[in-house]
Amino acid sequence: MKNHFSIRALSILLGALISMSLSVSSTLAADNDTSRKPARLITMALEYPGIEIPAGDDISMDIILHNKGRSDEDVNVAITAKPEGWQALIKTYKYTVTSAHVPSGEDKILTLEAKPPGDPAPGTYELNIEAQTVDGRFKMRKKLSVNIIAKEDSAKESKGVKLTTSFPVLQGPSDAEFEFSIEVDSKLIEDAIFDLFAQGPKNWTINFKPAYESKYISSLRLKGNQSQTVAVEVKPSPLAPAGEYPITVRVSSGDAQGEAQLKIVLTGTYDLEVGTPSDILSLDARQGQPANISMYIKNNGSAANHNISFLSFKPENWKVEFKPERIDVLEPGALQQIEVLVTPYDEALLGDYAVNIKTEGEKATKNTEFRITVKASAAWGWIGIAIIVFVIAGLAGLFRWLGRR
Amino acid sequence: MSGIKPILKKELADHFSSYRFIILFALITMVSMITVYMVGLNIQRELNGVAKPRFVFLMLFTSSGTLFSLVDFVAFFGPLVGLILGFDTINRERNEGTLSKLLSQPIFRDTIINGKFLAGVVVIGVMISSIVLLISGLGLIVVGVIPGVEEVGRILIYLIISIVYVSFWLGIAILFSIIFRSVATSALAALAVWIFFSFFISMGANAIAGALVSDTTQDDPEVVLKQIKIQRALSLASPLILYVDATATIIDPMRKTTRTIIQMGMLEQLSMARFAGPLSLSQSFFVVLPYIVSLLAITIVSFAVSYLIFMRQEIRSI
Repeated sequence: MKNHFSIRALSILLGALISMSLSVSSTLAADNDTSRKPARLITMALEYPGIEIPAGDDISMDIILHNKGRSDEDVNVAITAKPEGWQALIKTYKYTVTSAHVPSGEDKILTLEAKPPGDPAPGTYELNIEAQTVDGRFKMRKKLSVNIIAKEDSAKESKGVKLTTSFPVLQGPSDAEFEFSIEVDSKLIEDAIFDLFAQGPKNWTINFKPAYESKYISSLRLKGNQSQTVAVEVKPSPLAPAGEYPITVRVSSGDAQGEAQLKIVLTGTYDLEVGTPSDILSLDARQGQPANISMYIKNNGSAANHNISFLSFKPENWKVEFKPERIDVLEPGALQQIEVLVTPYDEALLGDYAVNIKTEGEKATKNTEFRITVKASAAWGWIGIAIIVFVIAGLAGLFRWLGRR
Repeated sequence: MSGIKPILKKELADHFSSYRFIILFALITMVSMITVYMVGLNIQRELNGVAKPRFVFLMLFTSSGTLFSLVDFVAFFGPLVGLILGFDTINRERNEGTLSKLLSQPIFRDTIINGKFLAGVVVIGVMISSIVLLISGLGLIVVGVIPGVEEVGRILIYLIISIVYVSFWLGIAILFSIIFRSVATSALAALAVWIFFSFFISMGANAIAGALVSDTTQDDPEVVLKQIKIQRALSLASPLILYVDATATIIDPMRKTTRTIIQMGMLEQLSMARFAGPLSLSQSFFVVLPYIVSLLAITIVSFAVSYLIFMRQEIRSI
């Protein structure tokens, strides 16, 4: 029993001891961490000490100042050496920097910008960047090695934009609207705004539209290495004759340029105009007697129209004839006269009738409605007058024969 | 025709002062006024909802109020005027012995019959014109529509046809008054002819057409049409039918034919419906011209026959 008690007391004592020692050690460790930091320590690093760029490109990278000491520092920075003709400076977002404040335990990031001269020879160039604390205790020096590679190699890269289209040739009538779909693929690393140009035949309307949207655009913003589909809407001139028409689409942003060749094949339009020379669509006719009206057919399309025939929608027992009955071919802009003979039924009632004439050409039909007024034939009127004259003459004869009795 | 003036004057004076004429005229005036009043009320109801009514004025004559329109009235009872004016023209003079007295005057015999017929025509003209004018005036008040030139033209033609039509019956009456000595006989004969032509002919035409065309296939439009054609051809022998067809067509611009039944194809209907418009006056006139000519011809012939008989009759022996 006693033994048992003593074990228990011991374990409690031990636990208390362990927990005490643990808390002590942790405070000790924290003490150690701060105490391990030197009073003053500052380092400088370049983001990429060695780079390779194509000729003509600029350099832009970060300089990282890191304060590892316990006190804040002011650091002077300078570019001490640079190849001849290069422009280089250290910047922040706003200023050109000669000195920077780095709080204890924090980083300061400055931007190094360097611009090689117009046409640098390929090869390795070096820039020296030096930094020192204001009191001169810490001095740091970093070397940036830039390897400029020949322009020929980078030419493709710098063009930077590619145009592709799945359907470069479209076909249709002159009055149709054509829409090409073009994929603009930017190979540039950075964002860019591309201007869109198109060159087509005179009097044609060419517009750029975003895919599936109806607004017109003239420029396009693309992120680096992204692509976007652009629709090219083409309205041919209504007078354009049938034929092939090339269209050049160009996309450019600075030096980056892309070109695509498109083609439209016009098959011509089909349009017929039907009318009468006097524009009068009414006609007088007598029962059973043919009445004549002249009609003209004009090809207003840009393609020749073949096999134009005529159909008439007329009352029963009426006759409608055409001279000639059909036109074999009508060239664009050509005019042809047609004589229409309308013969009303012998017993047609007087009054107005509608007779429809349908002109059926190649891919074009025209309906023309004529108003036929059937009038009474005057022949019976004369016969009636003759009868009356005859009867009155008979009466007069009677008067003469029997009168004066 | 030198001595016709005094005869005409005397006859007109006789007509206008006779009770017969006054009663007749009063009766007809009353009936037509009642008719037009009814029609006036009816037109307002008929035109309710019609966007742009045309030829409203003519409807005064054609629209039937409660019983009949004016056109129908003149067609049926206009002949009575002619008959009553003429049935005793000659035989009354003869019976009273005034005819020989008249002929002993320096007057030619043809002057007498010409003058009597002309006097009748003038009376008929005055009567019908005054009725038409009365109706027009009343219509202006009741309906408040002013007739256009074309409407006036149509009414004028209607007036002329009506005068010719009633004159025909006057001629028939005069003919009977020459043939029959008895006034009663001539009156009855004239009435019989009137009833025969006005009522029996259309019935008889119906019966004959039915007999000629077998009635078994009533549904066949061809047969029905043939039957109607026969019936029409026969009934055209009646002056009443001639008159009704002519006036109905001249006074209704929308009527394009005098026929009552017309065969029309589907397309024809469509074609006509496209420009459903009235006929012009000249076209309507051409449609009814044969009817007018026929009426005029039978009128002249009926007068010529009575003239012929009267001129060749023995008069002094009575």
